[in-house]
Amino acid sequence: MAVLGAEDRARAAEIMARYPKGRERAAIIPLLYLVQSVEGHVTRDGLRDVAELLGTTTAEVEAVASFYTMFRLRPTGTHLVNVCTNLSCALVGARDVFEAAHDATGAPHGGDVSDDGMFTVHEEECLGACDAAPVVQVDFVNHDKVSPERMREIVDRLRNGEVPEPARGIAPTDFKHASRILAGIDGGYGGPTSEAQGETKREVAQPSGGPPAGEE
Amino acid sequence: MTDKIITANWGNDEIFSLDGYRADGGYEALRTALDMTSADLIDVVKASGLRGRGGAGFPTGVKWSFVPQDTGKPTYAVANFDESEPGTFSNRELIEREPHQFLEGLAIATYAIGSHDAYVYCRGEFLWPDLVLQRAIAEAYDAGIFGESVLGTGYEINVIQHRGAGAYICGEETALLSSLEGYRGQPRLRPPFPAVEGLFGCPTLINNVETLCNVPHIIRNGGGWFAKIGPEKSPGTKIFSVSGKVERPGNYELPMGTALRTLLEEHAGGVRDGKRLKAWTPGGSSTPMLTEEHLDVDLDFESIAAAGSLLGTGAIIVMDESDCIVEATRRLIAFYAHESCGKCTPCREGTWWGARVLERIEAGYGRPEDLPLLEDLGQNMLFRAFCALADGAVSPIQSSLKHFRDEYEAHIAERRCPFTGRGPGVVNETVKAPAGDRGLSEVLG
Amino acid sequence: MSSPAPELVTLTVDGKEVTVPKGTLVIRAAEQLGIEIPRFCDHPFLDPIGACRQCYVEIEGQRKLFTSCTTDVAPGMVVKTQNASAVAKDAQVANLEFLLLNHPLDCPICDRGGECPLQDQALAFGPGESRYTEPKRVYAKPLPLSPLVALDRERCVLCARCTRFCDEISGDRFIELFERSAGERVSIAAGEDFRSPFSGNTVQICPVGALTSTPYRFAARPFDLSSADSVCGHCSSGCNVKVDMRRGEIVRVLARDNVEVNDAWICDKGRYAFRHSDLDTRVTTPLIRDHGLEPASFDEVFGEIARWSKGARVAFITGGRLADEDAYALSKLARTVFASNDMDHRRSFNGGRAEEVAAGVPLWTTYEDVERAPAILVAGVDTEQEVPILHLRIRKAVRRGARVFVIHPRMTRLADVAEHELARPEHQTYVLEQIHEAAEGEESFAGRVASALRAAGGDAVVIAGERLTEHPLAADVALSVANRFGSRFAFVTRRANDRGALRAGVHPSLLPGGRRLSVDDERAVVEAVWGQLPSASAGRSTRQILEASANREIDVLFLIGVDPLRDLPNDALTTRALRNARYKVVQGLELGDLEPYADAFLPATAWPEREGRTTDWEGRPQSFSPVRAPAGVSRPDWQIFVGLAEAMGGSLGFETIDALREEAAALLAPREVPVRSTAWTGTGRPQLAGELTAFTYPLLVDEGRMVEGADELKAALEEEVFVEMHPEDAEKHALHDGDRVRVRTETSEAELPLRVTGDVAKGAVFVPFNQPGFAANRLLGAGFIEPATVEPVRAAEGANVVPTPVEA
Repeated sequence: MAVLGAEDRARAAEIMARYPKGRERAAIIPLLYLVQSVEGHVTRDGLRDVAELLGTTTAEVEAVASFYTMFRLRPTGTHLVNVCTNLSCALVGARDVFEAAHDATGAPHGGDVSDDGMFTVHEEECLGACDAAPVVQVDFVNHDKVSPERMREIVDRLRNGEVPEPARGIAPTDFKHASRILAGIDGGYGGPTSEAQGETKREVAQPSGGPPAGEE
Repeated sequence: MTDKIITANWGNDEIFSLDGYRADGGYEALRTALDMTSADLIDVVKASGLRGRGGAGFPTGVKWSFVPQDTGKPTYAVANFDESEPGTFSNRELIEREPHQFLEGLAIATYAIGSHDAYVYCRGEFLWPDLVLQRAIAEAYDAGIFGESVLGTGYEINVIQHRGAGAYICGEETALLSSLEGYRGQPRLRPPFPAVEGLFGCPTLINNVETLCNVPHIIRNGGGWFAKIGPEKSPGTKIFSVSGKVERPGNYELPMGTALRTLLEEHAGGVRDGKRLKAWTPGGSSTPMLTEEHLDVDLDFESIAAAGSLLGTGAIIVMDESDCIVEATRRLIAFYAHESCGKCTPCREGTWWGARVLERIEAGYGRPEDLPLLEDLGQNMLFRAFCALADGAVSPIQSSLKHFRDEYEAHIAERRCPFTGRGPGVVNETVKAPAGDRGLSEVLG
Repeated sequence: MSSPAPELVTLTVDGKEVTVPKGTLVIRAAEQLGIEIPRFCDHPFLDPIGACRQCYVEIEGQRKLFTSCTTDVAPGMVVKTQNASAVAKDAQVANLEFLLLNHPLDCPICDRGGECPLQDQALAFGPGESRYTEPKRVYAKPLPLSPLVALDRERCVLCARCTRFCDEISGDRFIELFERSAGERVSIAAGEDFRSPFSGNTVQICPVGALTSTPYRFAARPFDLSSADSVCGHCSSGCNVKVDMRRGEIVRVLARDNVEVNDAWICDKGRYAFRHSDLDTRVTTPLIRDHGLEPASFDEVFGEIARWSKGARVAFITGGRLADEDAYALSKLARTVFASNDMDHRRSFNGGRAEEVAAGVPLWTTYEDVERAPAILVAGVDTEQEVPILHLRIRKAVRRGARVFVIHPRMTRLADVAEHELARPEHQTYVLEQIHEAAEGEESFAGRVASALRAAGGDAVVIAGERLTEHPLAADVALSVANRFGSRFAFVTRRANDRGALRAGVHPSLLPGGRRLSVDDERAVVEAVWGQLPSASAGRSTRQILEASANREIDVLFLIGVDPLRDLPNDALTTRALRNARYKVVQGLELGDLEPYADAFLPATAWPEREGRTTDWEGRPQSFSPVRAPAGVSRPDWQIFVGLAEAMGGSLGFETIDALREEAAALLAPREVPVRSTAWTGTGRPQLAGELTAFTYPLLVDEGRMVEGADELKAALEEEVFVEMHPEDAEKHALHDGDRVRVRTETSEAELPLRVTGDVAKGAVFVPFNQPGFAANRLLGAGFIEPATVEPVRAAEGANVVPTPVEA
């Protein structure tokens, strides 16, 4: 069963057109994000769709998909909660946040889905925002300096259908939406250029964690 | 302070947008560059002495000059925005705050090597920074900065943003190319070097984001200007990303060669809660840890090397007296075990083994023979693996054993972690390792 | 071949000097000195990868150790291997410890035990005890990749030889490395099979026991085996193999390296279809028909045959797998003892000039020529299915930059590397003609082929498959194309020794060396050795023999190594021929379907039981040797022919294989076959005989006799019967993929399941030659192509594949 419908196939064609002719295989990562955005994880059928688009075998696609951690080859919750436990975050309490994430979501350790289908918790490596440790990503947007209490609050809000405001920028509505943005076919804020500038400006101008380097 | 170069505008609320960037003279360096020949441009960058900020510190102008422009094949410029080294977060902030500075540098580099196609390999987890960049690229296209005729000169440059999908190894440049071409992100044999046979088999330049951010300033102010900042062999400034146990973690742009003490005490607010510094990494988790003894070491390529470590990405992770070095090392090795691409034996098996031994020691099940074993393990991995990832994994093992062997011995003697108290402690029953280790079950997914 | 002499580099390895071509890897240079550096991922026929890190050497002046499998030699380089460098040796020992961390010590139950590089090295210098005390990585085992290949993942050392083989050599990328870090493993997409006809090569090159062959799993220990070098008898590729026998039974076939022929590879048919000479249908004593077929002595049977043959009209049909010696002896026997030119080894082909050239000129085009060709035109052959190792060599040429063009009615597995022109079978000649006539720079398939061939000059290769000759001029036109552009030319026949039979003159109009019976000068050369020949006029071809036989114009019909009911088109004609010939002599390994017809049976010795030579598609003769004694009282075919000659009161003039070879050598020496213009003067756009043309050819794994007993191979690769047609044709006839359809020809009709696919030419209907449930020779009467109609079968009419003969 094909995962991609006609409209998504047109998107897929656009994605492939970003790369030189004969090198369309380069589009494998965005295409995997695209199929992930349809079913909420990369299914066997999704792998086959990508293989068909690229003219490769399914094994070649699965080999690539299983190499990267951002492709979920197993069923995944509506929201993916990534908790960084690498050193900079661990030094300031990430392990407790990681446990709180499981506790609050009900998602079991090991990357499975919570019983209500809403959450998957993933132990993440360094997310490149160590000034804001401990860092948590919900659907790949950052929440800074997250305490176990704050972790529970974020989960509660997600459970209530809200989208907690991230540290910077916009937040996708869920993991599928995030995958769509990652495929590069959704500007995430209504369009890539001028009309969204005002909004973006405010958000990006917020300090990223500690005091801006220019101010000490 | 006036000596900032690439973060000088971070206080400017408008600088993230094209208008704001242009109001500050943005893209004028590109205009200047487009009037120069490729050879002249490369000479300017060579004269600046700029060295790559991605970790290896290779002279940037020399790298540009390695890319042949007469092969009859297309030439590609690739920017490495796959910032993943634990403790490192400067590229992300450079893009979030002033994406056009980077794009201008990228455009100049692209032109300098006679290329018309620039790829930006973005870290997938950087959903927001990648969107900022996506918007900035669109703005630049709209303004005629990219596209068929860059700034009306008739020279074509296209920028293709390519997101990764979660793999530390893709920061290694040949692995990055594999990934960009749609393969598993495993490193490739060199030679052929990317400069000769890189992306899609064509001559390719790969530069780090911070490196490229310096380029417009060098073009604007001249190579000589840049060369005079900081030490002779490592000129310019460097963004130091400070994290861990400090009062004010963050990115600090300082001249190369600033002493750690200055950075820590004058800028980052000192060790948190007035505690004592125990250990720090000068360039991310892959660089050997240094200690309190090294507080006065200058932060530049040569001085750090003399102290027995590496400047790497300039990511300083600070640990204080209450932090357990064995646990810190365990966590870092778990990272390498998770990120090893699997291609070569010493890295794949060595990181796996190291992680298991360290888990055992931290859990209170260490044995005296584990310490020589860890030393051996490090020796058997160092410079033996396919790429430098394994060497990075060896750094914390060897340096922690060198500086903090007593902590390991305490774990083993007490059969518990002296800091957390976890472990069986000294009991009379046979010590048996627990089955099923947390971190490693994750490794196997 | 005029490639410039390579630049040479001199270096020392362990103090010994060696000079090798520039670009040689250190590990290869060491091999030339007899110094073996341990390795797992390195393989001489795969690209260097440097993954296992076992082959570390010290290079003087360098701080780090180098992997010798990825390092090119340099002038004056001083290399120290584990034999001369303690550092290198330590690194190798340490690496071995890493490799063994997660490797199970299950050697006693592992197929590789006793011939395992990892085991050998662990024994040679591995640590006696492991410092690794944690639990090892485990996986569910074994993972069946296909009915042929099983994977025990915990044994795998992740050298990637298997996946690189699939990527670089076969292009069948069914297995890949999945995941990463310590979780990295070889795997296959869920729900899919390792459906590659080359899968067994991955087992052979696995340096541990991770990949195993199901037919050999737990079957033997290396020290239980006796072996012989042989040549594969399945097709004309000529692969060098090693046959392993345990207690008299063949249990395994492996590829032997030969860079001139098969590199290090064989196909799965060659590897796994080895049981047919051990089947219980094998007959190993002479038989003679009394009431039933009764055992007899050779002399009794010879006498009976001679009695029937004296003064009678005798004809000979052979298969394509007689050894060179057999073919020569038969060619002489038929003509000098039985005074008959009615003799043929071909099924329904007539290669004209192309055949003469193939018979007269061995090694005009070789594997090496194909590998080095910048441009290759392949016409009328599905190389993967018919000559698999030629297929691999064409792919290798592509990796060296060759442009490949294919003219065929059906897409081949060169699809990913070649431009295909799907042409109806009878149109292939026309496409060839267009290439011949193409104007400079013409923007068309023909134009592109022409300019590629022209640009490649003498290095281009034109390959014409035997099936082209369904059109009487096609092979000649292909030869003309080669001549026009100065390309090399190969007429490629499919069966193992079709070429040997052609060379020897098992042919109605060609004598040994491709000399024409009808040309006095050429005939005289043969008469000088053999004595006078019966007639200068051509004998009957296979088809003509069958027709004559059906018309009671043949008295004695010899069927040698052939089962015409299975191997030849038109089983209705064959049946009539068998009924109406007065006396039928069957010679071979078994009677099979011929049992009701045979009047005499002569048991032949199978290849694994005798010595002999066979000639591959290049014209290269290669020797095979016995792995065991002849079964029963069977005799090599050529000895049977010697006996028959004596019984007829004549003599072949040789009694030993050496004497035979000496005589044959004189007639089979390569000779000039002058380039003559062919009869062809332009065929023009072909007239279509019918709206649709059915065509057939044997797929690699089918119901052929040689594959009998290879159950795992069939389970892995054999397809059920089907018929293929193009979507436009299907639409025209309101047919859908998966429909049952009735295919009708002049002679017969059959109900078959339809596949609608753009991979077959418009107007062409493909029916595989002999898949389970249906053999195309029950449908096609004329040969391998024939006009046909296809119509839907109404649902009510049942689902059986039942051919309904129109005439008996």
